Amino acid sequence: MTSRDMDRLQRLVPWHLVGFLLAMLTGALSASAGELERTVSFVNDVIPVLTKAGCNAGGCHGKAGGGQNGFQLSLLGFEPQEDYEHLVLEGRGRRLFPADPDRSLMLMKATGQVSHGGGVRLVATSEGYSLLRQWIQQGKHFNSEGEPDLVSIVVDPARGSVKAHGYQQLKSLAHYSDGSVRDITGLALYECNDDAMAEVTDAGLVTASDIPGKVAVMVRYQGKIAVYSASVPLGAPVETLPASRNFVDELVFANLKELGVPPSPVCDDATFLRRVSIDIGGRLPTETEAREFLASADADKRDRAIESLLRSPDYADYFANKWTALLKNRRDDASDITSNFAFHSWIRDSLLANKPYDQLVRELLAATGTVIANPPVAWYKRVKDPKSQIEDVAQLFLGVRMQCAQCHHHPFERWSQDDYYGLAAFFSQVGRKPTDTRGEDLIFHKRGTAGSKNVKTGLTVKPAALGDNVGEIAPDEDPRLRLADWMSGESNPFFAKALVNRYWKHFFKRGLIEPEDDIRDTNPSTNPELLAALEDHFRKSDFNLKDLVRVIASSHAYQLSAMPNEHNLADRQNYSRYYPKRLQAEVLLDAFHQLTGATTSFANLPAGTRAVALPDNSYNKSSPFLRVFGRPESTSVCECERVQSASLAQSLHLINASDIKSKLATSNGRADRLSKEERPDAEKIGELYMVAFSREPRPDELRIALDYLAQERTDAAGKPVDKTKATRENFEDLVWALTNTKEFLFNH
Amino acid sequence: MNESQTASSHSCCPGPGNFGPGNFPPGSRRSFMRLGLAGFASMSLPGILRLQAANLAAEGGGTKSDREKTAVIMVWKPGGCSHIDTYDPKPQASSEYRGPFSTIPTKVAGMHFTELLPRQAKIADKFSILRSMYQGAGGHPAGSMQMLSGDSDTRDKPAPRLPDWMSVTNYLRSQEDPRTNPLPTYVGVNPPTSYNGPAYLGDAYAPFSVTGDPNSPNFVVPNIGLTDQNEVKRLGRRATLRQKLDTIERAFDQQGELGALDEFETQAMTLLTNPRTKDAFDLSQEDDRTRDRYGRNTWGQQLLLARRLVEAGVEVLTSGLRGPLCGRVNNWDDHAVNHHVFDALRFRADAYDQAVTALVEDIHERGLDKRVLVVVTGEFGRTPKISHQPSTGAGNASAPAGTKQPGRDHWPRAFSNLWAGGGLQTGRFIGATDEKGEDSVERRCNAGDFLATIYHHLGIDSSNVLINDFNGRPTVLVDHGKPIRELIG
Repeated sequence: MTSRDMDRLQRLVPWHLVGFLLAMLTGALSASAGELERTVSFVNDVIPVLTKAGCNAGGCHGKAGGGQNGFQLSLLGFEPQEDYEHLVLEGRGRRLFPADPDRSLMLMKATGQVSHGGGVRLVATSEGYSLLRQWIQQGKHFNSEGEPDLVSIVVDPARGSVKAHGYQQLKSLAHYSDGSVRDITGLALYECNDDAMAEVTDAGLVTASDIPGKVAVMVRYQGKIAVYSASVPLGAPVETLPASRNFVDELVFANLKELGVPPSPVCDDATFLRRVSIDIGGRLPTETEAREFLASADADKRDRAIESLLRSPDYADYFANKWTALLKNRRDDASDITSNFAFHSWIRDSLLANKPYDQLVRELLAATGTVIANPPVAWYKRVKDPKSQIEDVAQLFLGVRMQCAQCHHHPFERWSQDDYYGLAAFFSQVGRKPTDTRGEDLIFHKRGTAGSKNVKTGLTVKPAALGDNVGEIAPDEDPRLRLADWMSGESNPFFAKALVNRYWKHFFKRGLIEPEDDIRDTNPSTNPELLAALEDHFRKSDFNLKDLVRVIASSHAYQLSAMPNEHNLADRQNYSRYYPKRLQAEVLLDAFHQLTGATTSFANLPAGTRAVALPDNSYNKSSPFLRVFGRPESTSVCECERVQSASLAQSLHLINASDIKSKLATSNGRADRLSKEERPDAEKIGELYMVAFSREPRPDELRIALDYLAQERTDAAGKPVDKTKATRENFEDLVWALTNTKEFLFNH
Repeated sequence: MNESQTASSHSCCPGPGNFGPGNFPPGSRRSFMRLGLAGFASMSLPGILRLQAANLAAEGGGTKSDREKTAVIMVWKPGGCSHIDTYDPKPQASSEYRGPFSTIPTKVAGMHFTELLPRQAKIADKFSILRSMYQGAGGHPAGSMQMLSGDSDTRDKPAPRLPDWMSVTNYLRSQEDPRTNPLPTYVGVNPPTSYNGPAYLGDAYAPFSVTGDPNSPNFVVPNIGLTDQNEVKRLGRRATLRQKLDTIERAFDQQGELGALDEFETQAMTLLTNPRTKDAFDLSQEDDRTRDRYGRNTWGQQLLLARRLVEAGVEVLTSGLRGPLCGRVNNWDDHAVNHHVFDALRFRADAYDQAVTALVEDIHERGLDKRVLVVVTGEFGRTPKISHQPSTGAGNASAPAGTKQPGRDHWPRAFSNLWAGGGLQTGRFIGATDEKGEDSVERRCNAGDFLATIYHHLGIDSSNVLINDFNGRPTVLVDHGKPIRELIG
């Protein structure tokens, strides 16, 4: 403890609970301070006890619309006035009984003396109990004379380093409007942002596990938040680092050096080409591409491959696929098809032309007219009311989740209901006129003063961008344009950050902030310098998306091998190696087609259309493959709607689904063709490996495959199978086996 | 740096003890809550479930000690069944309401059904009827979503916002120890799927669906127990080859995805090749008397298959009674434009009464009545007041187009459902509607109560288990509802 802290503590009001805590923490003051009778405050004393005991949690009495057993408290105690009324005035006065405080229903329930659905929350000997008891006895006052307001909370230390399996005790202090400070270590709530990396107790004791990296503990008290960030070093020697190709490498490697996590080496050419083709183009390299790339002696060949992918329509298809799902280009009705196609084309063409990202967002946000004349209007077709609009805009473009703030103060955030309705106000003047197409409106700016009513206060809130004043907006001006201006402006700390983090995750599997669309002070980046540098680069490039991809993909950090070395196996957030990703549904289906030589035809689209180029979700219905592998239905603004985890249904599908079987056996497909060709089996196996993995088979693999092809086939009755049929089936089996390897199913 | 090594934990804070995740003392609902409430970190469900088990054990009474063995069969009547013409007759109501069916006594004194359900009437001591069910949505989508996922939104939506109780159970079970039974946890035999589903849990938790007519001699379940020995042989050969070629380092997989893949692959191979799984789906192994008892029709054999699968270890089973046995439009949506409501009810009564009766009796006779809960319901009841509209087409239970016929429309304000097995109280009729059958007036039970009762049987604490939605917002399984105490005893 520093001497400044000591000074501060000496000036503390000797409050009941504080004295107790101080005795624990400093040993300087005795617990006798607690004997000093003072008026217990409802806001500053009672609510914290209820919050810490979990009474006002969402599943208990904080539940909206009643609370358990008709006893309603505001969620996490954000509305003390309401809580006071519920406690004191409702329940026929039984909840509190000043004449004999211990007989108060609240205390009897909380201590489990009478049956309580929530179990025992407080023991009668606890500080919390005696505080509540005292408050009841004193006459259950809401306010005491000259009671100070809580201004902020501070956690000490705010940052630090904890060794693997080491501890750190946090101390939490509350600062009040009268300058007083109170130790709230025992009353604050603690949450860790990665349970696997560290645990924190109710008393603020942090224990690190053995996973290296950055971890944060959020401290909450009465709607105020503070964060403790810790770095957990591995401490292994980092002797060799790949050469730095750009600022990404410098900052990734600096972090690895600081934490002592030695990176895996840069991957080989075959791995790189397959990886980057999937990540940028959403497809496997062709056999020709792979052979040429492997044979090339060009020192710049990796950068050239990136350039050529960025120029290809595959890039636009793949990223349009990502964005259309998030922008809810969903077909709810057959008549939506025109709008679905138009909106998809607009996004795809914008990406292909490399329209600056801020421009793209502006065209979308401020869209007016009809879908046909101006396709981004389609977004307003699916996202209809101002609340959904701001929630989507905030989460998608700003990485801020505002949903909570509609009804209550965001528990982990500074966002209030005024922030929520201030944002909603930008969309308050969106006018709609029905068109000839069912379900489609013409969108226009409705003249008038923008504003949105805060449901809690009943007051109209003017447009404000997350606390930023955007100035007066004249009735003739479309407020959405002002929002679009603010979006890409210097004063918005979220816009560029959200995008670079989203794209970083696309390539590296894990966002620098995770989840990628949950940016808040209490969820810090694992490499803040890198995130800031990416953000800065993106801004300075005028929001150039292709350039961002180029910077990321050309870094050695992106090109590291997925194979761990003896030190970095546990690493899951410092990018000391490439984290393998399962191929997403569309890419896997296309890859399967590439290898088998089969196709799927999709309704209303030209033959040969790739699954990554599908405009909307309607194709999931007719494709069990896409459905079972988790292609999203475009119902959520969160990328997490895309299911990337394995399931029984997927395994059954790969093993035995009729569409897989028929693709393998398709006539003139690859298996059929190879079985008929007159050339050495080794060559044919080489072709299969080149298509599936962009590499030649290793000698052991070649031998296993050759053996398999050479085996005589008998049927269940032991009779030999017709030779032509046997050969064809053997090739089908080999193709099947390759598609079912982890090497095929993953980008690694 | 302020690194300190003091491991001593404070005992200064109010409330019971200090716990970190994974270190929950029994009975600490709060720590359990905290995990779910977080949204800040991904919660550890296995931990939660262990805690939940500990909670239940600590609280004692009213919970299932052999939770892992419990199962639910939900028989779903898509479109909504007229309560007034079946389980809640109103013989004293005027002719505009009461319909043509006479009232019969049941084995339970004071409880009457209409004449459509003579078999169920005879075994009424083996189940309970809840007559005061109600929910808030009058459309098929929203009504189904209320009942199956507890979504209180009354607007019809194209897709569910919340996962249904079946997917939730499947999901929660999947987070427990690896399943040893080769059958899937959740199987649907012609299951309801139009207005329900796993929503944000993902398709992995959708049912293993069996579709078709189990009464047909050609009925086969795909992906179960391959019968063609050549195919089995080839599959084995392929799998061996794949294993030899699948040599990529597992080491790179820190998050266990590859391991999960292997596990599912083994399960899939078991389903395909294990004779036990094939047997579970094979109705020909039931004796003829049993098959006859359920009724030699789609519904009868559907419910027999349901019983067979649950007996073999399936934990969640849904079966929808739809198709030609319903009448012209293949469901229970008896608007006058679709069906002559009374002809339709008579048309389907025999198969329905027989199948449900057989299922309830069979569950008892096989000693499954504690372990297996059977619930029969639809999304709502039907308008007590009869309407008359021209038919839109001729067919079973419908007069030629243009002919006026009686119908009943959607009615979520009051309807009945049937509960059997599950160790529930039987021979009861719970709640009541008013004299016209229009409103639940006594012991009103909503969709939350319905769901909480099912979850209770499954040993899932539905008012405390939280699952994060796409936005990371923790969502409680049942927001407003409690297990129906007259049923759970």
